[in-house]
Amino acid sequence: MEIRSQSVDGIVVVTLVGELDSRTAPIAQAQLIPLCQPDSKILLDVSRVEYMSSAGLRLMLLLYRQTSNVQGQIVLTGLSEDMKDWAITGFLTFFRTYDTRDEGLQALQLE
Amino acid sequence: MNNDNVQVPASFDSLSSIRTYVMQAASAAGLEHKRAYRLQLAVDEIATNVVTHGGGSEQPDAYIRVSHEITDECLTIVLEDNSHPFDPTQQTLASDINAPLEERPIGGLGVYLALKNVDTFTYKYANQHNRNILVMYRQTPPPETQ
Repeated sequence: MEIRSQSVDGIVVVTLVGELDSRTAPIAQAQLIPLCQPDSKILLDVSRVEYMSSAGLRLMLLLYRQTSNVQGQIVLTGLSEDMKDWAITGFLTFFRTYDTRDEGLQALQLE
Repeated sequence: MNNDNVQVPASFDSLSSIRTYVMQAASAAGLEHKRAYRLQLAVDEIATNVVTHGGGSEQPDAYIRVSHEITDECLTIVLEDNSHPFDPTQQTLASDINAPLEERPIGGLGVYLALKNVDTFTYKYANQHNRNILVMYRQTPPPETQ
């Protein structure tokens, strides 16, 4: 699991690369939680995550809660068809999701 | 037709190789991609459960053995482990699925996903071993159930 983050016009763009399972999710969590600062705008790009289990989904929910608690915002971009197939079943409906990173950035810039 | 099997320590480090094994079996059985992915997810969730709840993480000699069988109709994946008896079907499942996201307990989600994503799921405990048996029909829709 590789995590890259960069700042684009005040938005923290995080790119996850690799497989998100029970082994890698805690590693990702340790790096991502500190990003959930008050009023932060976070774009989480998962287009290069080839596999995500419920451990990854739990991490998404945790990040959502953390950012919401401090009036931050988070969007999810690049969910694969495989992930949409199962993850949307009531679990990611809360998230604002966009197909591309540009769409996600646009949405956050408008806030 | 019975094939090779793989035995790995019951730890999160083994999940990736278990998934690789399942995807190879799915490919040999000719499962379409979406169903192969679902099976992979289901097996991963069950294996994760063995490590988390079966005591795999506290038991140094705990292992998971994965085997598969391909018949004309289906692909069967069997996960066998020597951890504490643990029946995943007895976990609380989807009752919380409609609760608001913030309030929803997130335990039990993995098992819910596992059971939802395979055509049949069976749990057995015998000879000090848990056996989780996951079956996917090779053709869709499944000949008998749809």
